[in-house]
Order: sequence, then structure tokens, then C-alpha cells
Amino acid sequence: MTEGALLAAEAVSTGEAVTFWIVGPVALAGALGMVFSRNAIHSALWLVLTMLGLGVFYFVQQAPFLGVVQIIVYTGAIMILFLFVLMLVGRESSDSVVETLRGQRQAAIVAGVAFAALVGAGIGRAVYDAPVVGLEEATADGGNVVAIARILFTDYLFAFELTSALLITAAVGAMVLAHVEKEPSERRTQKDLSTARYASSRPGTLTGPGVLATSNSLDTPAILADGQPAADSAATGIEMRELPPVPDHDTTPTKGTPR
Amino acid sequence: MIDSPSVSYTGLSPVLFVLGAALVGVLVEAFVPRAYRWGVQLGVALAGTLGALISVILIAGRNELTLSRAVAVDGPALFIEGTLALLGVLSLLLLAERSPDMGGSAFVAQAAVPVGTVRDRQLATLTYSQTEVFPLATFALAGMMIFAASNNLLVMFVALEVLSLPLYLMAGLGRRRRLLSQEAALKYFLLGAFTSAFFLYGLALLYGYAGTVDLRGIFDQAAGSEKSDALFVIGLAFLVVGLLFKAGVAPFHAWTPDVYQGAPTSVTAFMASCTKVAAFGAIIRVLYVGFGNNDWTWRPVLYGVAIVTLVVGSVLALTQTDVKRMLAYSSIAHAGFILTGTIANSPAGLSSTLFYLLTYGLTTVGAFAVVMLVRDADGEAGHLSQWAGLAKRSPLVAAVFSLFLLALAGIPLTSGFTGKFVVFRAGLEAGAAPLVVIALVASAIAAFFYLRVIVLMYFSEPAADGPTVAVPGLLTTISLAIATAATVLLGVAPGAVLDLADRAALFVG
Amino acid sequence: MTETIEYAAATGALSTIWLLIAIPVLSAAVLLLAGKRADAWGHLLGVGSIAATFALSVYYVVTLAGLDNRAVSLDLFSFIPVTGLQVDAGLLLDPLSAVFILLITGVGGLIHVYSIGYMAHDEGRRRFFGYFNLFVAAMLLLVLGNSFVALYVGWEGVGLASYLLIAFWYTRPNAATAAKKAFIMNRVGDVGLLIAIFLLFATLGSTQYADVFGNADALAGGTATALALLLLLGACGKSGQFPLQAWLPDAMEGPTPVSALIHAATMVTAGVYLIARSAPIYNLTESGQLVVAIIGAVTLMIGCIAGCAKDDIKRVLAWSTVSQIGYMFLAVGLGPAGYAVGILHLLTHGFFKAGLFLGAGSVMHGMNDEVDMRKYGDLAKRMKITFATFTLGYLALIGFPFLSGYYSKDLIIEAALDEGGAKGWLLGGAAILGAGLTAFYMTRLMLMTFFGKARWDRGVHPHESPAVMTAPMIVLAFGSVFAGFLLVNVFPLEEWLEPVFGPRPEAAHVLPPIVVTMIVTAVVAVGIAAAWVFVGRREVARTEPLGVSPLIVAARRNLYGDAFNESVFMRPGQWLTRFLVFVDNRGVDGAVNGVAALMGGGSSRLGRTQNGFVRSYALGMLGGSILVVAALLAVRFG
Repeated sequence: MTEGALLAAEAVSTGEAVTFWIVGPVALAGALGMVFSRNAIHSALWLVLTMLGLGVFYFVQQAPFLGVVQIIVYTGAIMILFLFVLMLVGRESSDSVVETLRGQRQAAIVAGVAFAALVGAGIGRAVYDAPVVGLEEATADGGNVVAIARILFTDYLFAFELTSALLITAAVGAMVLAHVEKEPSERRTQKDLSTARYASSRPGTLTGPGVLATSNSLDTPAILADGQPAADSAATGIEMRELPPVPDHDTTPTKGTPR
Repeated sequence: MIDSPSVSYTGLSPVLFVLGAALVGVLVEAFVPRAYRWGVQLGVALAGTLGALISVILIAGRNELTLSRAVAVDGPALFIEGTLALLGVLSLLLLAERSPDMGGSAFVAQAAVPVGTVRDRQLATLTYSQTEVFPLATFALAGMMIFAASNNLLVMFVALEVLSLPLYLMAGLGRRRRLLSQEAALKYFLLGAFTSAFFLYGLALLYGYAGTVDLRGIFDQAAGSEKSDALFVIGLAFLVVGLLFKAGVAPFHAWTPDVYQGAPTSVTAFMASCTKVAAFGAIIRVLYVGFGNNDWTWRPVLYGVAIVTLVVGSVLALTQTDVKRMLAYSSIAHAGFILTGTIANSPAGLSSTLFYLLTYGLTTVGAFAVVMLVRDADGEAGHLSQWAGLAKRSPLVAAVFSLFLLALAGIPLTSGFTGKFVVFRAGLEAGAAPLVVIALVASAIAAFFYLRVIVLMYFSEPAADGPTVAVPGLLTTISLAIATAATVLLGVAPGAVLDLADRAALFVG
Repeated sequence: MTETIEYAAATGALSTIWLLIAIPVLSAAVLLLAGKRADAWGHLLGVGSIAATFALSVYYVVTLAGLDNRAVSLDLFSFIPVTGLQVDAGLLLDPLSAVFILLITGVGGLIHVYSIGYMAHDEGRRRFFGYFNLFVAAMLLLVLGNSFVALYVGWEGVGLASYLLIAFWYTRPNAATAAKKAFIMNRVGDVGLLIAIFLLFATLGSTQYADVFGNADALAGGTATALALLLLLGACGKSGQFPLQAWLPDAMEGPTPVSALIHAATMVTAGVYLIARSAPIYNLTESGQLVVAIIGAVTLMIGCIAGCAKDDIKRVLAWSTVSQIGYMFLAVGLGPAGYAVGILHLLTHGFFKAGLFLGAGSVMHGMNDEVDMRKYGDLAKRMKITFATFTLGYLALIGFPFLSGYYSKDLIIEAALDEGGAKGWLLGGAAILGAGLTAFYMTRLMLMTFFGKARWDRGVHPHESPAVMTAPMIVLAFGSVFAGFLLVNVFPLEEWLEPVFGPRPEAAHVLPPIVVTMIVTAVVAVGIAAAWVFVGRREVARTEPLGVSPLIVAARRNLYGDAFNESVFMRPGQWLTRFLVFVDNRGVDGAVNGVAALMGGGSSRLGRTQNGFVRSYALGMLGGSILVVAALLAVRFG
């Protein structure tokens, strides 16, 4: 983008302004919601809201291609990946939000506000009267896609290629940190598992959540007769959630049969 | 049709060597049987880095911009690429060390196995380790080289991520004290990601100001423009924040002690030397090429930052009881020293920074290599009290470590002295006399904790059940020998290298 | 520089006079650095080097005598080549230094030979010879230097050698203390010499003899007097004159050859040499000369009185030395009339005092190193050669007619009396009285040592010393007998020294010389008689008698010189030192430790910010970035 192209409008169009002032606070609310919500799934969903808002901004600023990419790739692929992981890990397993450091919350709030004010004021002052240059000139021949492709393969070719190294590193890192290699001999087939189960003292399947369960999810243990969770009903690799106390039975004898 | 950009493959050859080695390393991980992996990986990695070193020597003197002005091939870039290649070789040798006397490999057999499980305890007895460390290290090295040679802020950002990501991973792959190692990795990752965001934001603001991410473009725009400067200034501020984090400069230094202490020592050696070299290479390129005309803007701030860094680094190291932590704080102080030369914004400042980076990197690798040698039953003996009386048991190792400590302290006849001398002279010539005075005071304070270790080694009685000094394996020996020789040589006869740095002190673009 | 004295440049044989210093220095270096390996032959090297130096000295002096201009200067090298302070190192061989080099190397050589025997049973003998050679080298430099700075270098060198040799047996506390005392009192004197050199440089711009003595007339009267007094202070320190005399008797803790060479013949005469060399300056100031003469007279009296009450044979000889040097100071304080006479006495004193000390050493050697004369007695028959040489030395010292001391001492007394007026009578009278007291205490020494009943300890078998020790004593005895006669009548010293001091003024004699001689001889006889009466006739008690007169108590206590030094200088000095130590401990150390504690405390406190929590670190970084942004904005827009 070069300066001086004053062919475009000198000011922001009303449509754009209205869209911004509606979607902007929504996106901001999404960001704040993501930071402040207790539930991890809720947090991810708030972030999806913010991403969608950003997509809308791209659309409004004459970059439809980027807007679509934002929604499809970022929101659709990456955020969904986040959600998968969160569900696997267990929606109740969240860290304690009690702040142990004295003054951390307060200082963080103050710093955050100061930061926002400083940067916001600075940038606001800088762009207050800046001329508005749309993307007409940049996407003159061929539109969005062609323009992006052009600079991607000339000016930013190396950045593009180098990102591949980043991706490889990420893939290798994921493998290293998450993939437990089992020796081929170690893998137990279904037949092995079945034989082992019948040889053990408990050939039946593991107990499901049971009658008094309030949830079907994998991280809910089964309840034994005395109200305690059954230890062997825990799925491996997942942290079992705490069960709410079983409500006391009504022990007043019913009319009729004395016992 | 678009014209594909011209690529100077010869100019890029050092980077290409290292990148190639990294990619081949990944393939090796996939296809080579486990028994041969270590040897093949080491060979590939060394071939790549040595190839890079040789190609730097061969293409020395080039001055060009390639890949449509994205990457610079000029004196400082080549000097730093050469330094990184050399330090990379030494660090790779340390990473690859797996002699039984030194506790086998420093890296875990399988990082994905949770700590404390039965499987974890089983794996601790096996001898193989995650050889992904090698391609990760070479990726990081490639990222560092590009980071220091990039003429384009976006490429610089991508290179920053390319160099950081493998380091995050490598820091968490420790075999012993796994939890500490994983904690170090997580901290590094979180804080690194946090500051990368700053860098990116600054990049965006500068693009908004200048309309280009090219350094020269920014320079031209900043020279004469009626636009408001606030975007420029804030963008510069954020950029600087991101860069200073990588360099371990206060107030963005908090990660350094924890990460250096938790990561496996060979990785720490790699990080402490190479990352700092690359970071300062990038800082100096950004400040001189992009913002050279605006030094009245950034110099006072960096002046203050340098003072804070010097004070934090030297004062906080005084009460440290762990050797690696102490060296981490000392590296923060050294970042302050380098800044003293960098803010000079002159050819002298540039050449002195380059020289200091080289000497500091070599000394650091050597120092951490020695730390790897002092071991007890649990692994490395990190607590300073365990280092008492080391000289009686291993005079040679103690002498070598003393040499490195003296070099870090800046005692004459070591490379550290020459480095400090040229850096301070550049600072003085640029009129930063108060800063140089503070730097000298910080040197004096720092000398205390360096000499304390030497006194401890030589004049204290060894602990009854204290650690022993392992016989270094061949790879560590080679690495130590080169580092020691360089430290002495650059202290006694630094003329040739100083000239080299002077001649390299000219940016292109 | 307006005028300089033109010394002839050293040519031919005399261009090698630096060998005189180089040979002993080299020998000293070899002996001290070679270590135990040289123990077998070290003493031979030591003696050999001095013998060679003596031979060279004779050669040089003979060559010098053959020249017309008997003052030869040899420039060696530029010592301090700073603009404004050019000090060139060089040597000057003129009649005065010629005389001294012969004395130093000749007597020194004999004492070196003596030491072979005296130190034969000492395992530090090699080290001893090393220090001894070092001393000779430094003393030669002192007398041969052609500038005050060169003299000063030699001055310090002999001081160092003296310290090392007094404390040769350094494990003895007394020896160590005595060495420290000697060094410190020398230092006090050295300050005077140093300031004099500074003053010379400030007023005349140079310290070379050629420049100083050539331009001496340019000195203002006050400056000349100041110089005279400062040089006198230096001379008093080195020569053990009042008020810096207390160290010399204590220096007897060293081995006897040391006492003989350094504290009798050579080092203590350096003060006399200094004043004699600085004659052109002294000639400008009558008051300065008067002070010198008075100091000399006072010291000779102190020496005599103290020497009368001592029981340690070496201490008696030491006080005798103090007294005799007082005579020399008295002489040189008389101006051109007395310079040559003082030097003459210096030379003869060198012979007989060295001989006496060697004899004392021989006696001690035979008496199991006993020094208390109360435990001697009846040694004349047991140690015949020692007795003979000692007697000759004794006779020379008291001024027995026609022995060497007679010539030199009488000439001094004559010169003193010839001053005329009150000055002449007082000085001369003091000198005559001194002669009598000298005779008294020396006779007392002789009687207690060699005559009377044997008062030996159990197990002591006095025997004569070996030839290596008696031979030098015999040679020195010859000197004691004949030196005076030779130097007055055969090789007139006055004439020889004329180029240096100028012609001796013909003064009208207040008393005819023959009368003076008779008075002196009479006084001496009285002294001898008194000694016979009070000492010879009575039983010598084995322990020091108490209940004696206050004068004897005062004499035993060195006329309260030590007590005075202690209360006036030492105690306040100790208080000052303690105060400074207190200030150093509390103040300076407090500051240093305070800084260290501050750093440590600051470090601990700052270190708490590193609490291990990522969110803390992130907050810190956010704060830091706010500061950076704010600072940049402030710089840009402020």
C-alpha cells in the first residue's frame, strides 16, 4: 500500500461505520467473555464469537477473501480443534481461579487499563484524521485473491516458505509431546484384552454411570450403593469429576407394611 | 504473469544448508531405525552446520539483498550467521553427548509419557532418547540465522517463531528432573507467545505507518512524513519489546533464570549463546537500518533499559545458589553490556557488538559445558555448595571453568575483556559516558559472584559426599577445547577478529 | 644551569669503574638466588668478589693518582628521563670517593675473610655473604654516585642491608626488634635527606654534584642553612648521632662481623661522607656548620658517658663508635679546617674499631658467645693473638702516642681549639674530656676482659680463634698502628683531598700543638688511672651492682634516650595507629561491608520478584512494555 492514493473516499462510509459500531462491541464482548468465563467450553465459544466478528470486519473492509478464510480456517478449523480437545479433557476440569498472589489481579487490571488507554490514545490520535484508502487500487486487477496471490509469490514469498518450517516444527513438537510410542509387541489386540478380562476376577464390563447419575459424560464415575464413586469406573487418562452429594433418602416409614 | 523474485542461492547458502539438514533430520526420524538414529542425526546436523560455516567463509564480502529484499546478505548478517554456525556446531556436540560417565543422554526417552508413571520409570532406565532434538535444533538455528539477516519485518517475525518454537520444545525434553524441565518449557512458551504478540502488533502498526514492512521503506517513511508519529513510535515500542524479550533484557528478563535452570544444560548452552546472538543481530539491524535516523527517539529509552538490565543482572546474581541460575542472571547482565555498545548507533557500535556476541557466545557454551560435567548420583550438581573444593579433585576442569568465569567477568587476557573494551569504547565515543560508568560498576559487582565460584573451587574444602567431575565424552571435549582456545586466543590476540568485525560492520539495504 | 664543575670524562681503565658495584651485586644475586646448592662454596664467592673489587679499587685509585685532574665522572644511563627532572645515573671517582672505596673494600674484604670462620657453624652462612656483598655494593654506590639521587639509592641500599643483617638471626625477637628500630630511625633521617634533595632540585634544578656544587653560590643563605640542617638530619640517622643514636647499640644483636663492618667502619660513616661531600653547601652557612659541630660534641659526650656503664662488650664498643663518629662530625663541622681531619679520623677509626670488633668477636667465639664482660676475666694468656691485636686497637683508640688514633684525634682537638673564642674552648674542651672518658671505659673493658680473676661460667673453655679469624685481626692491627703515621706523613691525606675540600686554611693556633698533645695525653693517663683504681683494683662483681649513683643509672639507661623516644614518639605513635585502625575498621571497612550488605540485601529483595509464577512475569513484562511505550512517546512528543 502506498500513500497518496486519494482516489478513494475521504471518509468512512455510513454502512461501514454502523457495522463497525455494532459488531465491534460484540467482538470485544466475546474477547472479555473468553477471558472471564469459568467454563472452558464457554470460553472457546466466546472466542468463536470474536473470530466471527473479525471475519465481518474483513468483509466490511473490502477483503471478502480474507473474511471467508477467517471464518472457514480460523473459526471453523482451529477453534473447532480447540473445542475437541476441551471436550476430551473434560469440561469440568478447570483450574482453580482463586488468585494466590497478593495484588496480582488488581495490578493486572490497572496495567491492562493503562496499557489500553495509552495505546488506544496514541493510535486514536494517529489515525484520527488519516485519509481513508480502500482496497480498490490494491485489488484493481483480479480482485482479492489475485492480489494476495501476487504479493504472496513475490514480496512475501520467503515468509510464506519459511512458515512451512514453522508447521513442520509444530507437527514434530506435537508428535514428541503427545505421541507415546508403543512397541509393536506391546499393543494388545482385542482378543488379548478379552482373554485378560475373563481371566481376571471381574469379567463384566465396567459400570456405567448408573441410576442416580446426573450426567452421561465420560468423566462421571459410577456410584456404588453407599453413594461413593466406584474407583474402577474411571476412564483412563481423564480426570474424574467430583460428584455432588447424593440426596438423603426420605426415611420416614411409609404407611402400610411395618418393618 | 508475475515475475518470480530473484533468489541468490549462494548468498542464502548458509541458511539453506542448515534448513536442509533440519528437513533431512525430520525424514531421518521417520525412516531410520532407532539404533542408528543418533549417529545419523548427529552426522546430518553437523554436516549442515559445518557446511553453513564453510559457506559463510566462502561468501564473505558479499553485499546484496535477495528474495525481493526480504533477506540481506551483508557483513553483519554473514558475521552473525558464521557465529551462529560455529556456536551451533559446539552446541550440537553438547546436545549429542551421551557418554555413560556423563549420565547418558540428557534427553528423555519419550516426552509424551507422563511424569511419575510406571512407564516413565521404565523408560528412565533405557538408553535411547528423543533424537528429534537434532532437527529441532537445526530448525532453531536456521530461524536464528534468518532472524538476524531479515530485512523485512514479516520475515523477521516468522523467523522469530521458527527459532522460538523448537526452543520451547527442547527445553521440555529433559531426562532427569522432568517436571522442572516441562515447567521451564511451558513458561518459555507462554511468555514467548505473549511477547510475539507484541512484536506482531508493533509490526502491524509500523506497516500502518509506513505502508511497507521493508526496513528501508520504514526508514524512508520515517525520514520525512507529515503523518502523525504516534503509530510509528508505538509500533517501534512494541517491536522493541518483542526483540528485547528474546535478548533477555530487563524488564523482560523474568523467564531467563527459570528457563535456563529447568532446561537440560546442553539446551541452555544452545539457548544462552545462539539466541542472544540472533536476538541482538536482529535488534541491531532493526534499529540501525530501520530506525537509524531516529536514534534520538529510541536511544534514551534503551539507555534506561540498559541501566535497569545491568543492575538487575548483576545485583540479582549475587544471592544465587544454583550455578545455572547464576549464569542465567549473568547473561542478563551481559545483555546490558551489549546494549551499551548497541546504542552507539555507529560503525564502532556495530562492530563492537558483533565481536562481543562472538566472544560471549563461545564463553557461554564453554561454561555450560563445564556445568554438565559436575555430576552426582542424581544428575548434575547445581548447588554452589557442591562445587566447593572442585579444584582438588579435578584441577583441569576447575582451571577451565575459572578461565570462562574470568572471561565473563572481563579480566584482561581473556576474550571477555577485549569484548567489554571495544563495547565500552564505542559507548564512550557515542557520548554515553554515564552508562559506561554504570556498566563498569556492574562489572565490578558481577566480578564478585564470578570470583566467588573460583574461590569456592580452589580454597574451600570439598563436601564429604560431594559430586565428582565426570570424564567428558569425546564430543564435550571437542566442544570445550574449541571454546577454551577461542576464549584465550581472542583475549591475547584479538586483532584479526576485531578487524573482521570492523570490515563486516556495514549494513546493506 | 649557569655553571658546572667540569669533571673529566672517564676514559680508558676508569671507564669500567661500574664494575666496582656490578661485581658485588652479581655475587649477591647469585648467592641469594642460588639457594642451598651454593652453601658449599657461597662464602668463597663472597670473599672472592670483594677481593676482586679491592684489587680493582687499588688499580683505579693508582690510575686516578696518575691523572692531572683527579676527578673523573662516568655517565652510565638515564635514570629518570622526564622533562623537568632529568636524573642521570653516573659515577664520580675523585680523591674523596677513592679513599672510601679503598676503606670499604679493604676492610670489608678482611671482615669477609673473618666471617668465613666466625659464621662457619651457621647454616645461613651463604645468605649472610649474600647480604654482606649487597651491603658492599650499596655502600660503593653511595660513595661513588655522582649525584645526590645516586647517593640516595646507595643510602637506602645500605639501610636495607643493615636491616637484613641486624636481623640475620631473625628468629630472635631481640634481633628483629633491633632491626626494626634501626630501620625506622634511619627512615626518620632519610626524610631529611629526601627533602634536601627535593629542595636542591627545586632551587637548582638538578641533583648532580657537578651542577649543585658549581652553582652552590646561587643558594640563598636561608636555603643553604635549611639544606645543611636537612642533610645533617639524614647524616645523624645513618651515623647514629644525637638525637637518632639509640639504634646503634641495639644493632649489636647482629653477628659481630656485621657490627665490625657496618656499624663501625663503613655505614655509620656514610653520614660523615655526606657532610664532607656537601662541603660547598656547608661552607655557605656558618650556622649550619655550628650545628653540626655541636651535634658532634654532644654525641661524643653521650657516647662516652653511656659507654662507661655497659657490661656487654659489644655495647661498649658501639657507644665508642657513637662517640668517635661524634668526633668526626665535630671535625667536619669546623669547615675547611676540619674536613680532611675528619676523614682522616674516619679512616683510622675504621681500622682500629673494626679490629676491636673482630677481637670482641674472637673473645665471644672463645667464650661460647658470651657477651657479658662480668663473665670474662684473665683471658690474656688464653687468647694471645686476640689479646695482642685487641691491645693494639685499644691503644690506637685511646690515642696512645704515635699510634693512628693519636694523630687523628689530636688533629681534631687542635682544629677545634683553633676555632677560637667560646666556640673553640667549648668544643675543644668537650673533645678533650671525651678523650679522657674514652680512655676510662676502654681501659675498664680491657681490665674486665683480659685481666683479673677468671669469672667464667661453667663449661667455658676459652681458646684462641682459628687462623682465618686471627689473620684479618692481625692485618687490622697493623693498620691501627701505622695508618695514622702513614696518612699524615707518608701519603698526606690532606694533600690528597685538597682537590675536593680546597686548601686547609692556616689558622693561628690558640695553643701550640705540642701543648695540646701533652694535655690530651695527660687526660688520657688520668682516665687510665681512674679505670685502674675503680675497676682494676676492685673485685669485679659477677652481676651488675645495684645502689649506684644516679649518673651510673643514667648511663646504664643510655642517658634516658630510649625512654625519651618511647614516651615522646612511640606512645603517641601507637595511639595514632590505634585510632587509625579504629577508623579503618569502623569507617572504611564499615563502608565497604555496608556496600556489600546493601548489594546482598538488595539482591535478596529484588530476587523475590522472581517468584516462579508465569502470570507475575507476564505482569512484569506488561508493566515494562507500558513504560517503554510511555517513555518513547514522551521522548518523541515531549
